[in-house]
Amino acid sequence: MTTFLRKRIGSSAIPLLVVVLGVFCLARLTGSPVDLYLPLSATAEQRAEFAAEHGFDQPILVQLWDYVLGALRLDFGESLRTGQTAGEMVLAAFPATLQLAAVTMLIAIAGAVLIGSLAAYRPNSPADRTASFLSMTAASIPDFWFAIMGVLVFGVSLALLPTSGVDGGAEVWVLPIATLLIRPFGVLVQVVRGAMVAALSAPYVKLARSKGASEKRVVFGHALRNATVPALTVAGDLTIGLINGAVVVETIFGWPGIGKLMIDSILQRDFAVLQAAVLLTAVTIFALNILIDVCYALLDPRVRQTAPA
Amino acid sequence: MMSSVPAGSRPRPRHGPLRKFLRHAVVLTTAAATLSGCAVANSDSTGDAGAADGSTLRIVLTQEPPTLEPCESSLTSTGVVVRSNISEPLIERDPSSGELRPLLSTGWRRTSPTTWTFDTRSGVRFHDGRPFTAEDAAFSIDRAVNSDLACNVDGYVFEGRELSVRADDANRLTVTTAEPDPILPLRLSFVEIVPRGTSTEAKVREPVGTGPYSIADWQTGVSISLHRNDDYWGDRPAFPAVRYVWRGESSVRAAMITKGEADIAAGLDPEDADQDDSVAYPNNETTALRLNGREAPLDDIRVRRAIGLAIDRQGITDALLDGLAQPAAQLVPEGVVGFNPAMIAPPPDPETARRLVAEAAADGVPVDRQITLIARNAQFPRVSETAEALQYQLDRIGLRVRIQMADTAEHLQYQLRPMPVDAGPVALLIMHGNQAGDAAFTTSQYLLSEGPQSYFGDPELDRRTARADGLSGRARQDAFAAIFAAERDAVAQYAYLAHMRGLLGIAKTVRYEPNSATGDELRLAAVTPADGQVR
Repeated sequence: MTTFLRKRIGSSAIPLLVVVLGVFCLARLTGSPVDLYLPLSATAEQRAEFAAEHGFDQPILVQLWDYVLGALRLDFGESLRTGQTAGEMVLAAFPATLQLAAVTMLIAIAGAVLIGSLAAYRPNSPADRTASFLSMTAASIPDFWFAIMGVLVFGVSLALLPTSGVDGGAEVWVLPIATLLIRPFGVLVQVVRGAMVAALSAPYVKLARSKGASEKRVVFGHALRNATVPALTVAGDLTIGLINGAVVVETIFGWPGIGKLMIDSILQRDFAVLQAAVLLTAVTIFALNILIDVCYALLDPRVRQTAPA
Repeated sequence: MMSSVPAGSRPRPRHGPLRKFLRHAVVLTTAAATLSGCAVANSDSTGDAGAADGSTLRIVLTQEPPTLEPCESSLTSTGVVVRSNISEPLIERDPSSGELRPLLSTGWRRTSPTTWTFDTRSGVRFHDGRPFTAEDAAFSIDRAVNSDLACNVDGYVFEGRELSVRADDANRLTVTTAEPDPILPLRLSFVEIVPRGTSTEAKVREPVGTGPYSIADWQTGVSISLHRNDDYWGDRPAFPAVRYVWRGESSVRAAMITKGEADIAAGLDPEDADQDDSVAYPNNETTALRLNGREAPLDDIRVRRAIGLAIDRQGITDALLDGLAQPAAQLVPEGVVGFNPAMIAPPPDPETARRLVAEAAADGVPVDRQITLIARNAQFPRVSETAEALQYQLDRIGLRVRIQMADTAEHLQYQLRPMPVDAGPVALLIMHGNQAGDAAFTTSQYLLSEGPQSYFGDPELDRRTARADGLSGRARQDAFAAIFAAERDAVAQYAYLAHMRGLLGIAKTVRYEPNSATGDELRLAAVTPADGQVR
């Protein structure tokens, strides 16, 4: 497993580097932040001073080198917008997104395993068709629309939930999580159902049944274990999507997370914060990928056996 | 044959990995739930305690202010929180009448063509307890206008002018300008006063001021809370506490009013506004197409006039701007010194416009060259639909237009000098807000040949503008009104669209009458509980 992990981490380093370099260069292609941060009357000296102070007057390779050196010392620079260090801002925002993604994904997995398994147990039954229809609908609903409808129905019309914000108890979590949940939940129900249908008709399940194993053991002990592998892979990808896709939810509900911070940084050409946010998100995504692979390897020993010693 | 299981190791239990996974999942769920603990990370949740008893005024903004630095308060997102709430200027402008009123200065007079003297108020203290003196005022003006801080107020209001500022004694201040400046007191109404010792090297994020409220807590990304300054020199505002939050989505801001989660909601889109809970107000903003007259076919005045004639302003304001805007014929609305009441927005005249374009084409002007219409995302409600309507209307008169939607930073590249040189013919959809109430703030930016936001102009008009700048009273009004008319006839850099209006959500729990300054300056002291009781 150590070799597997080492190799997996090694292979993640290159894409990580590409992402960081890409964001660094692409951000600078969008234009200098000088116009956004200095007044109209700023003199050429003030512009030059601003550029020099933030290193924008240097050739891009020098800027990149400085950035890499800084990042190695965990110094990600200063926000042009707020004057705070970029690292501080990103670390403050990230846990809120992680909380949201983690809770959402765990609910999605638990719910999808239950409903997907039930639907697969009797294929084409009314329950199966209902579950399939609802999950397909859920997977197709735009999160933006769902969020606004949630606010109007549950916030305004029924007055059951707050429209937005983070102050309060468990109720503030409901709409953001429901919005984030709807797509992964729909997709996962489909995946679990499909995998379970295949598993339940596999020869080893028939064999288990013929040997008198209880239905509970057949479904959860034999079939679900095999169905978990594809579901887990998809769940991993969906989790990554959640972290990236938190932008909509965070913007609409005023959730103080990394998605909103990233969008604001792009619009404000706040390069240091954007780079730090992308780096942390990329590292997290690669870590998640590795975690998924480890889970995958734990569930299916063939995976780790393919890793060369 | 070697087994893949090392000898001596105990056989793995059946379903071990799956159980392990599920166990991990349970642990993770518990951890996440504990982590969440009904409180969101980064929120440092303090609850909305003031809401229930009505003692906290709750305001929802469109975005978080990037800073509360007073010298940046000409930026809408900063000014709406800071101005006259946390810090105060020497003088304030009445948004309705345009009159200047005493604030931290009790009186002022022009003592020579280039010198003004201001008396400052006694008995005023900053939030940190230090007394306010004329020296603080001198320091603040110097810091905002003459320092290397590059404050926005320096650019937008003082246009880079240098001032000489001196405190004569504890209560008297003298300001000297290089050239006569009849509207200096108006300009100074944009300078917020901070105590001596405030950094002149770096902008401050959370300022100390003399205003009726001071900063209690700023949770980045979540909210800003203010509490009432009990030592305030003026009238005691009604609410002991104020809490600002921000939501990017207009429908959510509107819903917060309907649901009772907020008392005031800024910047509602017309489709979200509930008639009972919203008020329209003139926000002094004017929209127009700014035409790059240095590039063919826009370098021909017939083509520029044709564009002005092609636009169906009434149609756009009725259909797309929900009747809230009014067709415009100049860059400033009524109420601004220099507004020309004789200039009327013409009805669309596509026939004449087509004829003008055809005439230009006959003279060899390449009218089929593609014009880029650049508009800014979210600049006003239905901005992209407005751009599409303009594209259609220009297409009808024989011009080829493509739309480019831009974010603020990209739009700024076209808005400000130096503008991109290889962009071809550009029609930039601009929105100009003249919050200061004097045409000089418009002409210096948008009409001068070398104005920071102008493509081109006319030397004679530049001379007239310089002369008008030195006038005051009726002569000033007439001179600027004539300049607006002359610009339309001789230059026609702009195809005007509409004088805009803003929509403010106001819950039934509070009373507030928005005015033309509300978008930039929401005076908390002007908000009272519906029952009129001071909390």
